[in-house]
Amino acid sequence: MSLSWKTLVYHGARLILGAIFVYAGWIKAADVAAFAGNIANYQILPYSWNFLVAATLPYIEVLAGVLLIVNQRVRPAALVIGGLNLVFILALISVMARGLDIDCGCFRPDAETKTTAAEALVRDLGIMVLVVLTWWLRGAGRRTN
Amino acid sequence: MNLSPEDIKRILLEALVILALGVVVGLSVNYRLVFNAFAGKPVVPPARSVAEQAASAYPLPLSLEEVRQAVAEGALLVDARIEDVYREGHIAGARSLPLADVDAYLADFLAQVAPERQLILYCSGYGCPDSFDLGLRLIDEGYLDVWVYEGGMPEWHAAGLPVEKGGAAR
Repeated sequence: MSLSWKTLVYHGARLILGAIFVYAGWIKAADVAAFAGNIANYQILPYSWNFLVAATLPYIEVLAGVLLIVNQRVRPAALVIGGLNLVFILALISVMARGLDIDCGCFRPDAETKTTAAEALVRDLGIMVLVVLTWWLRGAGRRTN
Repeated sequence: MNLSPEDIKRILLEALVILALGVVVGLSVNYRLVFNAFAGKPVVPPARSVAEQAASAYPLPLSLEEVRQAVAEGALLVDARIEDVYREGHIAGARSLPLADVDAYLADFLAQVAPERQLILYCSGYGCPDSFDLGLRLIDEGYLDVWVYEGGMPEWHAAGLPVEKGGAAR
């Protein structure tokens, strides 16, 4: 009885998570220099390290995302994504704690756009739920893997 | 559902392999960019020639002190924010070239500013990627000496340095 919905939720979580990270990695891999600029906005890493992270992070995301989609090495991939996501969450919290305005409102200088860090945080927490679901339901109805 | 120590070990190992593969692929694809970034020695101000900068194909950052010195030596400050915000207050002497409307103003900019002129772009501080993006665009358009002042308007203002109001994108 519970087996089928668990399987359903598992595949749903895995596919959504995989698609998000393949997409996110893909668009960032296409414009590494701009992504480096985005990372620089967080003011966490020394300037050059922003480029190192920007050069490698998208490919890690795509790789882990693809593994989730093809249902292979799911737990290792979920672990990687969960770990990255944890780093993103900490970075966002650090941005908010320092009162940085990571959406400058350069295009639309209206006040509403300033919630971007908080919105991203909510999104990342949602992603974390998917990671946990994928991890725990991986074993449902089959051997743990 | 319980994982044996072997399972945990294998999962950790495979996760590390995923990370390592991503790093290897990412560095293989982008080794030039990363190499340039690290060769750019951004923390040390002197000894960055125009040729070095041009070879790097993306704008490197300047500190507040470097910006003041460069402006004194004839560099042009370029404000990448939208025109309304520019009018509300900008760094004294800065020219407006809003990234959002860059296509509308670029022709005039190209006609009036020589490609060898040192350009220092800024927007709303560290949180703002527009100056960097505008820098990439201007390098694409053939400008050879393009830099970004990451502190931007907030840092300049906080330092009590001269600010002007009014003016327009042109």
